[in-house]
Order: sequence, then structure tokens, then C-alpha cells
Amino acid sequence: MDTTDKQIEHLAKLSDFSLSEKDSKSLGKDLESIINYISQLDELDTKDVEPTYQVFEMENVWRDDEIIPQEASREDLLALTKEQEDNQIKIPKVL
Amino acid sequence: MKIANKTVTATQLVKDALEKAKHFEEYNIFTFLNEEGALRKAAEIDAKIAKGEKVGKLAGVPYAFKDNFLSPEGPTTASSKILSPLVSPITATAIKKLEAEGAIMIGRTNMDSFAHGSSTENSYFGPTLNSADKTRVAGGSSGGSAVAVALDIVEFATGTDTGGSIRQPASFNGIYGLKPTYGTISRYGVVAMASSTDCIGFFTKTPDDMDLLMSITAGQDANDLTTLPDYYETSEIKEVKKVGIIKEFDNDSVSSELKSALNKKVDQLKKQGYEIVELSMPALKYALAVYYIIVPAEIASNLSRYDGIRYGYRSDNITDLESIYTSSRNEGFMDENKRRIMIGNFVLSSGFYDAYYLKAQKARTLIIKEYEEAFKKCDVILTPVAPNQAFKLGEKINDPVSMYLEDVMSVPINLAGLPGLTIPAGTGENGLPTGLQLIGPRRSDKTLINFAKELA
Amino acid sequence: MSKYEITIGIECHVQLSTKTKLFSEVDNDARGKEPNSCVSPVDYALPGMLPRLNGEAIKFAIRAGKAMNCEINKHSRFDRKHYFYPDSPKGYQITQFYHPIIGAGYIELPDGTKVRIEHAHLEGDAGKLSHFGNYSLVDLNRVDTPLIEIVSMPDIHSAKQAHDYCKELWRAMVYAEVTNGDLYNGNMRFDVNISLAKEGAKELGTRAEIKNLNSFRSVEHAVEYEYERQAKILDKGEKVVQETRGWSDATGKTTPQRSKEEAQDYRYMPEPDLPPINLSQEFIDKEAAKLPTTPKAYREKFSGTIASDTLEILLDYKPLMEKLEEITNLFSGDIRDNGSELSKEPRNDGSDAAAREKTIGKISNWFASVLLAEEKSAEYLNDLPSAKQLANLAEMTEKKELSSTGAKEVFLRLFDPQMKIKEAKEIAKELNLLQENNLDALEKIVDEILADPATKKAQEDFKAGQEKVIGFLVGQVMKASKGKANPSVAQEILRQKLKN
Repeated sequence: MDTTDKQIEHLAKLSDFSLSEKDSKSLGKDLESIINYISQLDELDTKDVEPTYQVFEMENVWRDDEIIPQEASREDLLALTKEQEDNQIKIPKVL
Repeated sequence: MKIANKTVTATQLVKDALEKAKHFEEYNIFTFLNEEGALRKAAEIDAKIAKGEKVGKLAGVPYAFKDNFLSPEGPTTASSKILSPLVSPITATAIKKLEAEGAIMIGRTNMDSFAHGSSTENSYFGPTLNSADKTRVAGGSSGGSAVAVALDIVEFATGTDTGGSIRQPASFNGIYGLKPTYGTISRYGVVAMASSTDCIGFFTKTPDDMDLLMSITAGQDANDLTTLPDYYETSEIKEVKKVGIIKEFDNDSVSSELKSALNKKVDQLKKQGYEIVELSMPALKYALAVYYIIVPAEIASNLSRYDGIRYGYRSDNITDLESIYTSSRNEGFMDENKRRIMIGNFVLSSGFYDAYYLKAQKARTLIIKEYEEAFKKCDVILTPVAPNQAFKLGEKINDPVSMYLEDVMSVPINLAGLPGLTIPAGTGENGLPTGLQLIGPRRSDKTLINFAKELA
Repeated sequence: MSKYEITIGIECHVQLSTKTKLFSEVDNDARGKEPNSCVSPVDYALPGMLPRLNGEAIKFAIRAGKAMNCEINKHSRFDRKHYFYPDSPKGYQITQFYHPIIGAGYIELPDGTKVRIEHAHLEGDAGKLSHFGNYSLVDLNRVDTPLIEIVSMPDIHSAKQAHDYCKELWRAMVYAEVTNGDLYNGNMRFDVNISLAKEGAKELGTRAEIKNLNSFRSVEHAVEYEYERQAKILDKGEKVVQETRGWSDATGKTTPQRSKEEAQDYRYMPEPDLPPINLSQEFIDKEAAKLPTTPKAYREKFSGTIASDTLEILLDYKPLMEKLEEITNLFSGDIRDNGSELSKEPRNDGSDAAAREKTIGKISNWFASVLLAEEKSAEYLNDLPSAKQLANLAEMTEKKELSSTGAKEVFLRLFDPQMKIKEAKEIAKELNLLQENNLDALEKIVDEILADPATKKAQEDFKAGQEKVIGFLVGQVMKASKGKANPSVAQEILRQKLKN
């Protein structure tokens, strides 16, 4: 299949990249060849085959409902953000 | 491996390691050298030894870990721009276990950004050079770790293997590299690439070292619900009689060096009295396509959290909220990261999910079934890790698909959650190392390591 | 609402009141706590952090499902829903898109209408943003608070029904003890899908979704407003735009938020970090058995005894229904020697039932008209008088030992920290509210009054047929008894004596 500029634009939007004209062109070319490669899967017959999402035998793995101290404090975490105020993360206004 | 004692001090071991690390600086192995921290820890261990106190199984052993492991020692960057700077308050479970036994981290190793690559050329810090030929790639994505062990800077190094990122650089540098059974070692505190195939593993110079590291790090972790209760220590070693080789992997895409390496090993096995079983596994032909659908999907999802808001890189060209995301992600990710994220979003997007993502997960089932059938006929499978030896720097970097094709023999077992161990298979006439991989059923890790001892 | 038929489906988010969050062991109740003080590295979405599923949330979901008469799916798993927004640190929400834990069921409204539940699933909540001049602040305390999202079928056809459905759902969840049900703090939030179609039309009309309503009243009003808005559009022969709209209580209007064209592609993907859930029937039954009495069961039990409008008021207060339940239990079974007035005289079951009905009737009225009218009723609800205290009070009034006003006064004192330790009778004594029912004593007083020349004229007038004068005479008796006489009894005796 050939990937149109429109598709690249859509994928960039889904991926939240602001791609330059140049980047969209070169990435578009790469994506097209990659999608062509993975599309060979069409020829494989998977009728009546169940999908496998995880290669892990266990199920019902969960924990108790008890509060326990965490490995990092609020201060440790907020120290990682660029801007904070009043113990919150500061970002440009959300419209 | 050399462990600190009264005569050989931890401080001496660490100093030697740091010295070698600097000596090999041009190979661009490390993203961070832990001189101060390492020497401090060494002194603590030496003090204990002097006092005759009990020290761990890895007392004073210098090691390196791949830069996608979280720890407060140095910044965790995953060789990316978008994670710099991130000094993590968290320590990965595997690192905690190693250091509880006295291992000393002397540096963080270079990698393909977010482990996206097979050559360590996709690093924000530039490529790592091959230990045998500086004009060639180290392999990837755990290239720095492989070269650090191959050049004998450290006794062992950690890596992550999502599609071959331990086994392939191990074979490119002529050392041992293990990708354990999926769920053996906790992924907690390791920057995620693809959750359903990511495995933590090691590079070592001997199978015995591998055995020791596995017994220390394997086991269930409340912080990773996809970890198995420790089977490694308790699992009994299966005696290997039948070794399978895969017919479909004997094709023109495989270089003559790898073919002859495999044939030599097969002859040796026959001499040693092992039965060689030829297997036909037609579904493996699709494994690479399946891999480059499922893994990018999980990558696109796992890398959504890198948005410049809570940590890591935030672009300076911020005009509004939207641009925090678009600019930070655009400037913070490398092209290969972007390719994989966009492919992932493509196969998951409405209209394509069934044809790509769901279809791939079904094909995955067929691949798993083929291995199940195969292991009814043999105890372990022997194949090359990659079709070629270490290739030239820059040779494939501009052609993503040709780079992906280097993974064709390494990705299938990640899709099936099986263990794979790279063993050195000598050097070709061109003087470059070759490696082969031993593959077994789930939880046969100990058997693989033991078999490697027999072949060594 | 005549020429168009309105069709409504409602999605409701319920915050579960587990101790810890859905995927990490931090406090799940951030009310009154500092911003980001209930945030784990998992909630903050540091690299390498993996979700740690709270098993209690699974159990809560089973109870919630049973409270809605739903199938519980033995097999369920989690999925990732992707979108970029500062309230979603991971860049995706962990939800159950493909295999939800709660299957089909229904909620029955007071009027008997059954609203079918399509399914309900577990998911994590999002963080909170607050907006200032040119910036916003992000508080992640609410991130991954466990939610169940309950999706109804389009079985609702009026604003009133929409209101009643939301309220009945709220009751069901509160009675099931899976949520604090505090609407003011957003414990339950409603998204309402509304479409209009010509009466009798086969096809449903284009719908608008009103998001994030947090009170039953705003649900009702939003539906009314949307009916008018969409009807106007259709009258003009135009088309309703499929879109998401917001509601403002202030303006009483809905306004467009996001239209279908920009609708997001969430790229749902099975969550690879969480193993699947496969529940045994035993496990499900064990949890289901823990479901407390449902509002529906209470309604059926008391509909004969309590007037339906009173009952519907009381059903909003679980503690009151539990208390009434307790009181009914005083009557059934062997309670003969608990020292209660109730048990002193032996009864056959019939009269026991009768007494029970009278008692429940009185007490439910006090609850509805006296207790709930009190300013402090909210805090009173946390600490109700004992069933025995209330039953005794009811019995005293039944026996005319207290006037109805006196009874109300004693009733209120039963909530007074100083008084509540005492039995109703003691309180009545202390307040001098006990009525004089002793006939001999009363008769003596009456004789004195009749002997008093000052009443002569009144007596003659009465005999002459002036009925109302009896009131004056009763008044005299009351005065003489310092208000303790039971007026009706006093009147009876007067009439007797004046006859002959």
C-alpha cells in the first residue's frame, strides 16, 4: 500500500509530533516500506486462530488493599518536573 | 569471575575497571561513569571484609548496566534526549538484587535510544564501536554492555532483549548473552519498550557467571505482576540428547560465515554423540512481520508517557499546551523512535487494527504452536542469532527495513516468550566473532546454561 | 413532550471506595488532602513503572454488578485507551474495552420501569487540572482512583425517568457499599446521550452527549433543555449535530464541546502489563453473598407499611432503612425477655404484626417529617437511637402516654448527646410530658371542676346543647392537672358526668 501525505499527517497527529515538511517526507518514505513489509502477513491464513496477547501462564494476579509507603515521595517526584507551584505541576493554560 | 577478598580488594577491582573504561573511551561504551559512587561502595565492602563480616556473592565485582535501568546513580537516559535529565528516585528490582550481593556499578552503557535498533547507532550519544573492529557496529540495542564485557572492562553487564537486543550484540562481540524466559526477572524500574516481549538479561564471559547471576536475580516481584515465582533455582537440568536445527533458516540471506559456524558446531555435536533433528517451521517466515506490528504498537503505547510535562525534556519552543507535547516529543525522540511510534499508531488505528494488530497476535499463536511441536522432537534448538556478523557503521542506518532484517532470527522467541542463550562460535576468516543461540522451552533456562557449559 | 419521542441512554462513572488506588498502594481518599499527596511513582507514570492491580476493586465490581442484577463475567481483562492530556500521565487510561467484568443486567425504577444495563467495566480515573491566568496546575491525586463505568441501554424516555434512573443507580451503589456516593465530590458522574425522533419512527435520531453531570437535578434539567433545543432544530427541518456538549447549572444551558469530526481515535490495545482475570463461580458467589439488602428489597418489604412518598424519601438514607429493619426484627422471633414494654404483654402473631405496622408507621413519619427537617439531620444519621428506644417511644404514643407533640419532642431528645443514653420513658418523665391516664385521679379532678360554681353556667349551656363549651371545661381540667391530663380521656369523663 502507498502512504499518502494525509496518512502521515494523521499518524503524526496520533503520535503528537510536529513534523517538518522534510521529516514527513523522509519518514513517510520509510513508513511506506515498513508497512509494505509487514503487509506480507496478509498471505498467512489465521482463520479460527485465537490471538495471543501475552506469553505468561498466570492469571488473577493482584494485591491486597493496604496502604504502604512508596519508593518515592511527592517531593522526589515533583522535583523532576520543569515547573511547579503549590505542589502541583505547572503547564501552559489548558483551553 | 574475580570476587573481592582479603588479598584482592574491591577498591582494586573497581579502580582497574574504571581505568580500562577510560582507556577504551573511543569506543563510546558508557553514557555515565560512576567513579565516585563505585569507589565509595568498594571501600564499604573492603571495610566489611577487613572486619571479617559476611559479604555477598558478588562482593566488589565491577559491572555495568544498560542505560534503561532506573537508579539514583547517574541520569537514566535510555540514550535518548527526551529522558535527559532524569535522575530517578527509583531503583530497578534487578539492580537492587545485584547490589545486595555486593556488585558495584561502574557505569551506565550506551544503547539504541529506547532500545530501538540493532546496532547502537540510534543513540543520542552516538554509536558504540565493535570490540573486534572499530569500523563496525557493536550490535544492539545493548551494544555498550556487550562491548564493556567483551573488552574485559567489567565482569558482567545487564541488558534488555525485546527482539534480540542481548543475543545479537553478544554474538557480534563473541561473548555469552542470555534472554531468559519471559517473566523470569522483574521489569520493574526498567524503561519499557514492548511489555509483552521485554526481558532483562545479562552478558558474561562464561556460562557459570550466567548461572550465578540468574540464581541471584530470577524471581517473582510484587512490583511486576508478570513475573513467575522463582523456578530457576528449583528447576532440574534436563539432559540434552536431541538438538534441532531449523530448515527455513538455511537460506541465501544467511552469510557464509554464519553458515560455516553453524555447520562446525553441528559437526562437533554429532562427534559428541548428540542427535541432530532437522525441523521445519514455516510460520517463522512471518515472525519478523508479526514482531514489527506487535512491538511498535506496544512502543507507541509505552512511549506516550514521555510528554515533557512531569519529567525529562521539555522543549523551549512552548507556545501552548499542545506544543509541550508536539515540540518536546518531536525534538526529544530520534527518527527510529518516531518511525516505530508512528507504525504502532498505524496498526492500532481504527480501520487497521484487525488487519494488522489482531492478525499479528493470531499469527503469534501459530508461531508459539510451531515451537511447541518442535520441542516434542528435540530438547534444544540451535540457530544463528543473526544472518550476518557485525556490519559496517552506517551501512544500514538509512534503510530501516534492511536493519530490521538483521532481527529475523532473533525475534521469534521473544514472540513466544522462550529463553535464548547466545554462545560464542569462534571467529570467521574475516576475524569477526560469530555467535549461535541455544533455544529451549519456557523455563528451560538452567538447561540451556548447563548445555552451554558442555559445549564450551 | 408530545410530537417527538425522546430516547436517553446514560453512562455513569462511580468512584469505588477502596482503601487504595486501582494500580498502587496509595490512599484512595484524597478529600481534604494536599495536591499530589496521594500519588505513587506508578500514578506519576515514571518510566519502568507497572500497574499493581488492587484485588479489592475486583470484589467491589462483583458486588456492584450484583446490585444491578448483572451477570458477572468469569473472564475479563484490561485494555489501554490512548489519548494525550495532562490529566492522563501514562498517555493512556487503563480500562476494560474488550472484556468487561460486569455483563448485562437492569435497574428497576420506583415506577416499575426496568432500565437495562448493557455492561459495566473497571477503569482508572484521571487527574485534576485547575486553571489560572495564563497557566494551569496539574494535581494527580485522583489518577487511577478505581471507577466502574455503567453503560445503560437507551431505555429511558423522559427527564423524570432519567432523574429516577440516576437516583436509583446511586442508591444501588451506596447500599452495595462500593462508593461513598458523595455527588458533591464527584463520586458519581453522569454522561447522558439524548436523541429525538418523530413519534413512532423506527430509527433513533442523532444524539448529543451531555458530559459530566454530577447531580440528579442537573441530569433532569439538561434533558429538558436538550429536548427543547433538539425539537427546535427538527421543527426547522434541520439536522441535530452528533456532538459532546457541556451543561452549566448557572445558565441552565448545554453548549457544544467536541463534535464528531474531531472525535478521537483511542487505539484500544490489550494491557500487556496485567495478567487476565479468570474468576471461579465460587469466588463470584462468595463476593455476591456479601451484598447488603438492596433499595429494591427495602421498597418491597415496606411498601405495605410506609406511604410510598414517605418511603421514597427515606430510601435516600440507608441508615434509616437499616434502623427500620432493626425495629421490625424486635417484633419477629423470640424477644420476650428483653425487658421492653413491647414484650411484657404476650401477643399472638397477628397483633404482633399489627403492632409492628403501627410502630414502623409512626417511626417512619418521625424520620421523614421530624428528623430530616432538622438542620443537623446529616450528623444525626451517623448515630441513630437504638431500635428499642424508638419502638418504646412509638408504643408510649400509641398508649396515649404522650401527646403527638410531646412524642416529637422526646424523639428529638433521643438524638441529644446528653439525653440519648436514657430510655424514652425517662426522658418523657424528666420533661414532664407524660399524660395523666389514671381514670380515678382524672375523675376526682373532673368532680372538683364540676363542683366549682364558676363552671355552673358552662354546665347548663352544655346541657342546653352548646357543644363547644365542652372545650372550656376540658381546659379547666387540663389547667387543674397542670397539663398532664389526656384531653380526650378528660372529655369522655366530662360527657359521662354531664349526661346524667
